[in-house]
Amino acid sequence: MRMPRSLQQRLALSLGLLLTVLWLGAASLTAVRARQSIEEVFDSALQETAQRILPLAVAEVLGRDETDPTQRLAEIRDHDEFLTYAVRDARGRLLLLSHDADPAIFPPWRGAGFSQSATHRFYSEEALQGSVRLTVAEPLAHRTAMGRELQMWLGLPLLIVLPVALGAIVLAVRASLAPLRRFREGLAVRGARDLSRVPVDDLPAEVAPVAETVNGLLARLAAAFEAERSFAANAAHELRTPLAGAIAQAQRLQAEARDAAAQARAADIEATLKRLTRLSERLMQLARAEGGRLRLDHPSDLRMVARILTDELSRLAGAGRLALTVPAAPVMSDLDPDVFAILLRNLVENALRHGAPDAPVEIALTPEGGLSVANEGPVVPREVLSHLVARFERAGASSDGSGLGLAIVQAIAQRLDVALVLQSPRPGQTTGFAASLALPLSPGDPAEG
Amino acid sequence: MRILLIEDDAVLGAAVRDQIVGDGHSVDWVQRLDAADAAVASVPYDLVLLDLMLPDGRGIPFLRRLRARGEATPVIILTALDQVSDRIEGLNAGADDYLVKPFDLAELSARIGSVARRYGGNPNPLITHGDLQIDLAARSICRGGQPVALTAREWALLEAFLARPGQLLSKAQLEDKLYAFDAEVESNTIEVHISRLRKKLGSALIVTERGLGYRLGQA
Repeated sequence: MRMPRSLQQRLALSLGLLLTVLWLGAASLTAVRARQSIEEVFDSALQETAQRILPLAVAEVLGRDETDPTQRLAEIRDHDEFLTYAVRDARGRLLLLSHDADPAIFPPWRGAGFSQSATHRFYSEEALQGSVRLTVAEPLAHRTAMGRELQMWLGLPLLIVLPVALGAIVLAVRASLAPLRRFREGLAVRGARDLSRVPVDDLPAEVAPVAETVNGLLARLAAAFEAERSFAANAAHELRTPLAGAIAQAQRLQAEARDAAAQARAADIEATLKRLTRLSERLMQLARAEGGRLRLDHPSDLRMVARILTDELSRLAGAGRLALTVPAAPVMSDLDPDVFAILLRNLVENALRHGAPDAPVEIALTPEGGLSVANEGPVVPREVLSHLVARFERAGASSDGSGLGLAIVQAIAQRLDVALVLQSPRPGQTTGFAASLALPLSPGDPAEG
Repeated sequence: MRILLIEDDAVLGAAVRDQIVGDGHSVDWVQRLDAADAAVASVPYDLVLLDLMLPDGRGIPFLRRLRARGEATPVIILTALDQVSDRIEGLNAGADDYLVKPFDLAELSARIGSVARRYGGNPNPLITHGDLQIDLAARSICRGGQPVALTAREWALLEAFLARPGQLLSKAQLEDKLYAFDAEVESNTIEVHISRLRKKLGSALIVTERGLGYRLGQA
């Protein structure tokens, strides 16, 4: 037999089977032993009865005429005769019969002692050198009924108690395994990004090491994520700082150089360094989008990020170029704020680059986590639209990585399992371009955090 | 203004320092947080430029320590492009403004000016004082409609007076605002700059309180 995979079922089944077998064994043994004892008691009673009757029978037989036929004793009071007896002489003639006795059941004489026919148990005893032979008969049906009753009373509780016992086993097993089940459910309901420790306190000693191992694993995972995050941040810092230094020095060179040609050269260096910076920023963003951790185990308010970023991009684009709409209530999401910033920055820079310069880029964040960036401008043909998210596909020509923008957004959207929707003309209008996507929101109270 | 620059990169730090000095401010440049802690403990700075990633720790705890001590000195943080979370954390920790690396030095100068004006109580960069029209953001000044050219030191000195109208400023305080602590200052430098300012903008602009210092004259 194959054991079920469930530990609970396995325990209940094996305990139940074991209990049933043991109980049945014990009951059978008891039944056999009790049956033997009953047989002994009955036999003893049979023997005792015969030995008590024999002297009376002898006196009776001796005291009467030799030619008298068989005498059947009269019934003193009406009753069912349980034990019957017959008194015979040495030749087998019946001398005396108890009132209910059936002469046919008595077997031919085979000496004193116990004997048995198909229906009766006999005890025979003789006196006066065999001239008076007494045989007491007891119907076997009685003993069999007794035995069956005994077995029934031994078996009947089994029928009632065993299911109760099995039920109790199941309940006990379930209760014992409840911490395990809670542990499993706790693991099942936790978010995919929740790397906090699993509580170990109420777990049975056998399972606690498993939980400890899980916790160890979670801790290593969290450390690996954190290391990856800080490595990315450090690498970006290592790359960015010398570029920033070189750009600043090129600007100082322009400010300090007296010679117009030298100033122009410094300006060229500065422009090249800035292009290199933009390209490397984009590649770092793409690496982050494709490899890094996108969601944190704690939520933050996306409105704050949207405001900061709109402020920063407005400095570069000029006041009035960006219009941000956010809801009054916090928009809480476990999306990494830096990843959200990458999304928004790329969408806005794309809109600024390709949109009409005289109309503001409209950024909207809805309470449901919808982010849309829309700009005025000519309609983008459908076939171009579908190619926009391909890497290094550019609507305009530049070598500073600007074509990566939508590809970065698309990479993040795919890993978040949401769709990046590009529309042109923008919804409800005949011109323009709009990009939108639905960001994952944190469940729970949106006002906290 | 006396400015503390906390930046560990030598190339970037040198360019920033030269830019600020070029604007006429005095700069103390440190490359580590422990040196920064020592500096803010000994000198009353007008502004701190704080990089967030330093060899001996992150800049944000330094900012928190500064604010926890009740220091209201304006702080501009220098942050990376993709670390918006750092920027939010920095602003929440009490930073007044931020610059995203790599930044234009002109942008840096403008931010320093704007933060300083906000702290001076008058965020408007356009000031009229008597017959002077001063645009602090553009660093232009007109006297009776005629543009006047000032050197960086003269601008810094004028800004120091405009930031604290009517307040008495000692010669030592003015030296602090114009020169870093390792600079050699001639004993009569302040007097020289003040006499040049009076020559260009009118002798009533700055009033001498003999033996005590100077203050901005009534308009």
